[in-house]
Amino acid sequence: MRALRHAGLLPSLGMLIVVFAINVALQPHLLTRGSLSSNIATFAPTILVSAAQAIIVLSGELDLSVGTGVSMLNCALATLPELVGWGLWPTLGATFAIAVMAGATNGVLVAYVRLPSLIVTFATSAIWFGIALFFRPQPGGSVDQVFGDFYAGSVWGVPIALILVLVALGLWSVLQRYPLGRQLLAVGGNPVAAFHAGIDVRWVKFCGYCIAWCFVYLGSLAISAQTLSGDSRLGLPYTLTSVAAVVIGGISLAGGRGSVWGAAFGAIALGLVANVIYFAGIPSIYQEFFKGIVICIALSFTFIVGRRKAA
Amino acid sequence: MTAFLRTGGLLLALSIVLMVLGNFVTPGFLSFTQVSTQLKISAFLGLFALCQTFVLIAGGEGVDLSVGANGSLGGIVGAALIQGQDSAVLPVAILMGLAGAAVGTVSGLGVALFGVPPLVMTLAIASIVNGGLIIFESIAQPAIATSPFLAQLAGRTTLGVPNIFLLWIAIGLAAVWFLSATAWGRKIFGTGANAKVALLSGTHVRMVKISVYAISGLIAALTGFCLIGYVGAAFLGLGDAYVLSSIVVAVIGGMSLAGGRGSYVGVAAAAILITVLTSLLTTMQISEAGRQIIFGCILVVFLLLNRHLDRAH
Repeated sequence: MRALRHAGLLPSLGMLIVVFAINVALQPHLLTRGSLSSNIATFAPTILVSAAQAIIVLSGELDLSVGTGVSMLNCALATLPELVGWGLWPTLGATFAIAVMAGATNGVLVAYVRLPSLIVTFATSAIWFGIALFFRPQPGGSVDQVFGDFYAGSVWGVPIALILVLVALGLWSVLQRYPLGRQLLAVGGNPVAAFHAGIDVRWVKFCGYCIAWCFVYLGSLAISAQTLSGDSRLGLPYTLTSVAAVVIGGISLAGGRGSVWGAAFGAIALGLVANVIYFAGIPSIYQEFFKGIVICIALSFTFIVGRRKAA
Repeated sequence: MTAFLRTGGLLLALSIVLMVLGNFVTPGFLSFTQVSTQLKISAFLGLFALCQTFVLIAGGEGVDLSVGANGSLGGIVGAALIQGQDSAVLPVAILMGLAGAAVGTVSGLGVALFGVPPLVMTLAIASIVNGGLIIFESIAQPAIATSPFLAQLAGRTTLGVPNIFLLWIAIGLAAVWFLSATAWGRKIFGTGANAKVALLSGTHVRMVKISVYAISGLIAALTGFCLIGYVGAAFLGLGDAYVLSSIVVAVIGGMSLAGGRGSYVGVAAAAILITVLTSLLTTMQISEAGRQIIFGCILVVFLLLNRHLDRAH
């Protein structure tokens, strides 16, 4: 319990339990295997992109370009096959290269050129959006059906989407046992102290961005496997959702405090809230409003609890 | 002060160069009606950027991502209340200003009292306001038309100068005066430069922070209200396009996220520059994709430039 509180996971876990209970009440079939696996398939992109945001926030920065980044990667996945005639594997490889280059660009601008991440990732988000539009001026194109079937499938009864999320978060937990993972938190918590302790602050922040964009890549794979087509606007909501998930997950936006798992719980909680709004039969015109209210309640909850802890 | 004028002058000179360049690409770019249209569009962009100016100067990584939602609020609810009648414009304008200020105050309370990061707070408020407007539009089916007076104010000219441009200059001068010559304006600068020192020297830092968000909401809602005069009718997402561009303009105009620095003169010049650039790219028939990429790159270049100028100080 103390470990959970220390990681700031209590608010997000509490919220998760509450919305999960409401979900089960509204939708008794939720606990069947089919329903659970389709839910996890729907939530996986948000979880992965929120995890990416969490890694960057832990290092003391922010990335407002993850949303258009998802769009860019999704459009690349759906367009490269017809544009240059590549098969599935070269397309996946090229898209991964684009993702890492985007992360490296943000990383260089923030860590080495030392521009404020808030504004500079705003700027790069316009560039990613432009590239997405270059690939796909109109929604369309197609992602290999094989890929979609693979994502919707399961191994020994465990959905692929769940495996994807667990492997990604598991890799992060492994990384935390190595110096780089710890240095990332140290740099986010107090860059000056980290510098005096002999940590190469710039390099660590740069690596943080690169690692995070691997997660963005996985998230865009998960969403593309579901839509099976390209759309330059597909990723736009992920920027807000990922920041909200990170905040609900108890990660301090000042950096250094929190856990990537918290962001994952926050993302699932937000997805379940959307479910509640849907299954409670609330008309679609109220959805945006309720989403805003829920995020605000979650925010005040998080900040009030955080305050009491600090006091 | 001279440094600020220099930045503003540089940006204005750049816009003139772009305009002359545009005239080579498409003859008629420098024509009277074209320039007049540019000034009108700049005025709206400049007013939304004024919101960011207040919030940015007060510091603490302050940005207001709810200016678009507040603008839509002023436009949609304003149009619903005036019903196309001129007589209702003044009272409705006052009401919309108050509504915007109220929304801004809520953001300000979240930021100043609960310590929610401005980015997150204003985004959440924006989604509530936009969500509320969606409900209002679908349930009330309100009137959306502008009134003759608003159309006159936002679209027509006096002695060849667009009315809204004159209004912008008046408001801009008032803002520059308020920020540099009044006690409260100086407190805003002081809070941005160093909140701790400001607090110790007796400034109500929390009140100052709440006030800048309230001012931002007020200006955004009123600008949205005027915007329906230019566009002709109110619609959902009226102000959305201004969220990103207002921040871009403020940053190019020399504002710093750290706060306590900058002048609205530079921001106003940047509003003109960005408007001219946008229309130049459009007339050159560069696709949306190309425009987005060019914009992103220009913003990065200006960030580098501002950094370089800071170091030189």
